[in-house]
Amino acid sequence: MSVHDPQAWDRPAPGHPGRVSLPSWRWLSEAMWRIEHSFGRARADARPEEDTRVRIFVILSLFSAVFVCLALGAANAALLAPRGGIGSIGQPNAVARADVVDRNGALLATNIVHYGLYIDPAEVWDRRAAAAQIKRVLPRVSMAKLDRVLSGDRRLIVLPGLTPGEKAAVHALALGGVTFEPEDRRVYPLGASATHVLGAADTGGQGISGAELAFNREIREAGLRGDSFPLSIDLRVQGVLENELARAVAESQAKGAVGIITDVQTGEVLGMASWPTTDGLNRATSAHYEMGSVFKTFTVAAGLDTGRADMNTLFDASQAFMIGNRRITDFHATNQVLTLEEVYLHSSNIGTSRLAVEMGPATMRDYFGRLGLLDAAPIELHESARPRRPTKWDDSTLASLSFGYGIMITPLQMSAAMGALTNGGRYIPLTLRKGGLPGAEVRQVVSPETSLTLLDLLRRNVVRGSGGRADAPGLRVGGKTGSANKLVNGRYDPTHAVGSFAAVFPADGPVNARRYSILILIDEPGGYPRTGGFVAAPAVGRIADRIAPFLGVQRRADQYRTALGEKIPAFEDVEGDGR
Amino acid sequence: MSATGALKRVFDWKVRGVRWVEIIGLVLVAAMIFSVYLAKAAAAGEGARIASLERQITENGQRVRLLRAEAARLEQPGRLEALSRMAGLAPVDVHRQATEASLPDLAPIPDPQPVVIVAPTIPAAPAPAPAPAQGAQ
Repeated sequence: MSVHDPQAWDRPAPGHPGRVSLPSWRWLSEAMWRIEHSFGRARADARPEEDTRVRIFVILSLFSAVFVCLALGAANAALLAPRGGIGSIGQPNAVARADVVDRNGALLATNIVHYGLYIDPAEVWDRRAAAAQIKRVLPRVSMAKLDRVLSGDRRLIVLPGLTPGEKAAVHALALGGVTFEPEDRRVYPLGASATHVLGAADTGGQGISGAELAFNREIREAGLRGDSFPLSIDLRVQGVLENELARAVAESQAKGAVGIITDVQTGEVLGMASWPTTDGLNRATSAHYEMGSVFKTFTVAAGLDTGRADMNTLFDASQAFMIGNRRITDFHATNQVLTLEEVYLHSSNIGTSRLAVEMGPATMRDYFGRLGLLDAAPIELHESARPRRPTKWDDSTLASLSFGYGIMITPLQMSAAMGALTNGGRYIPLTLRKGGLPGAEVRQVVSPETSLTLLDLLRRNVVRGSGGRADAPGLRVGGKTGSANKLVNGRYDPTHAVGSFAAVFPADGPVNARRYSILILIDEPGGYPRTGGFVAAPAVGRIADRIAPFLGVQRRADQYRTALGEKIPAFEDVEGDGR
Repeated sequence: MSATGALKRVFDWKVRGVRWVEIIGLVLVAAMIFSVYLAKAAAAGEGARIASLERQITENGQRVRLLRAEAARLEQPGRLEALSRMAGLAPVDVHRQATEASLPDLAPIPDPQPVVIVAPTIPAAPAPAPAPAQGAQ
């Protein structure tokens, strides 16, 4: 007989607070003790069989409940299992990043399985022979690295990113200890073509520049579905643009060049090229230029749209326009009173300066803002840079702005603004999405009537003005030349010039007709002449001529030229200098 | 009462001290387990086949991607233009282009010639064939 209290273990020691026993715990322990003591109680009540029956019933119920749960679970798994779940590993064509294709499905970027070359030196018999053989079939491998791995004591990587062809060549050597690990790599089969638009993705499968960065999430999602991701680019148009840009650069011995082709009605970019292609900088989105006379289009548009001027309004260009001490002159002085049309066709700085000063800073700023010249061009590319805007808007600045100095914009901004002036006056954000940007915010910049007048003016400038070399037979090309000198060491240096041509074709037809804009900019042409009419306009003409069949533009006569490009009346370049 | 009795008799029907009901139950359970085993084995076989087919699709897909990339590399616009220029090709001059609608202007459709029915002429009697050379040795 023990005098030990069987419940003493649970009693708190004096001076120590006991464990807090929750009510539920207390209930559970009491219930267990009751069951535990029930045998004794039943025997005491002389009803032992009653107790056994209860126990059997309880255990039976428990087991039944468990079996019912199992049966329900099994039935659920058998009948309602997710479709395709059995044996399927998901979408078999899933990749980390989708193929990027052009608007017609031509491949621009894809993922190809490459192989990392690993060598375990312990399994190599003749290390020197192995090194020599590998170097022979894989010349780009570093001999130092190969020797280091072969003289080591464990399996190490020698070279990542072997193409399937290279892997096959090394594999065919049948060397011991040489193994390959697959790795997914982003491949741009077109090489330098469209390189700036596409950008790049890192080895981790994340976009780091260009469209790869701009559409990173969507490209990854499309990859998981096994789809491809289309861009608005048309590879045929892009190819012509690149080839002709390279030719124009070669002819003008330029430092760089930019070409952009867009659909002015949808804002889709059909081609975008920046030369040199080896340069990481996308000049179309990120380089700033004072564009020169191309801006006269914007000044004239503002003048026409406000009602301040019409085609026959006269501007005195007979003598230099003085603003304070500043003397504004024309490149080729006409020394006469000019109509607005003549101001545009002669590219008269005096005329547009007078118009801009008359309109005043508020109007000019309003129109420049609406044309998107004061903000970064709205496009998906993260590279789209903000312009360098004037800090003050006095008369001298207004005069400079009117002919494209005093503000540095990106070529993309110029392309978007020219699109807005030639599609009925609607500013449509540029996009690389096939089919245009859904839900794009479109704003009215000028009236459709102004847009029609400008289209005719642009066409006249090609037929009669400085853009004659941009004409393509039957394609009704309209456009404006731009020629500016660059600021070098605080002075405008005529040997550092920018020649550009902003064109649209076809320039006839209603405002909502299908129409394409071509912008060519030649950065620092080396030869002479350096003006846009000589360095950029011929490329525009050749490009229009070659891409018209792809875009479905028919050759047709208009009031100035026949479908074969012959003159109807005897129009000619009024200056002959292509400025 | 009789129904209960019959049921009890069936329940108590034994062979060598084992109830028939239990034997039948065991046999049924064994049959069920076996059929489930068969079904699962078949499903596993199907699953393996599906996985193998999907692996094949993935491999073929990768091969297709590789070939497409190779085709795209060979069809680069710059490369094609360089090859075309080397072969002496150039964009077609506008004067040598024509649309379908302008074809009649380029080559007018000739007027149908009046059909003249010529009376059949009786061919002259064929000249007698020369006698085969005799004695040509």
